[in-house]
Amino acid sequence: MKNRLKVLRAERDWTQGDLADALEISRQSINAIETGKYDPSLPLAFRIADLFNLPIEAIFLRD
Amino acid sequence: MQAKDHPAIRRYTRRIIPITSAYVGAITLAAALLPDDAPASALTIGLALLPGIAALGWLWAMGRLLIELDDEYLRMLEVRKFLVATGATLAITSVWGVLELFSPEVPKLAVFFVFPMWCIGLTLGQLVNRFAFGDQDSCQPSEDA
Repeated sequence: MKNRLKVLRAERDWTQGDLADALEISRQSINAIETGKYDPSLPLAFRIADLFNLPIEAIFLRD
Repeated sequence: MQAKDHPAIRRYTRRIIPITSAYVGAITLAAALLPDDAPASALTIGLALLPGIAALGWLWAMGRLLIELDDEYLRMLEVRKFLVATGATLAITSVWGVLELFSPEVPKLAVFFVFPMWCIGLTLGQLVNRFAFGDQDSCQPSEDA
C-alpha cells in the first residue's frame, strides 16, 4: 500500500521524530510506514488520519 | 522515540541481563560441581535444574516483551525474530534427529543445546529483519527530513 505520509509530514515541517512523538510510536515505525515496508493496522491508520485531520483514503492509497 | 528507548524494551533489557547472568552462572556452577558420572541424587538434580529455571525466566521475559510492547511495528519485528529462531531451531534439530535415527555414527545432539541454538537464531532473526526486510534499526542514521 502506498501512502502520502512523507509529503504530509513535509508540508507541516515535521521530522519523523515529531510525527513519532505525536503518535506515541517509534521513529523506526514511521520510517517503515513511509518507505512502504510496513502497512499500519487500521487503528494506527485512524490515529494517523486523525492527527492530519484527513480521511484515511487521503493518506493511504491502493497500489 | 528510538526503539531502544521504548519502555518495554528497556524493561526487557533490565530483566534479561540478570537472567542471562543466572543462566551462565548456574551452568558454570553445575559443570564445576557435578562430575559426568554423578549419581542422580537430589543435589545433582537440583543443581542441574537451576539453569533450566533461568531458561524459563528468559521465556517469561520474552513473553512479557510481546505483551508490553505497544508499538505494533516493533512487536512485529520481535515476533519475526522469534519465528526465524524457532524455524531455524526446528530445521536443525529435525534434520539432525533423522540423521541420528538412521545413522548410528552421527553424534547425539544433547537437548541442552536446543535453547542456546534458539537464542543464536534470534540473532539470525535480527539479520533477517535488517537485510531481508530492510528494517532501519536504531544504529542507522535516520532519514529525518
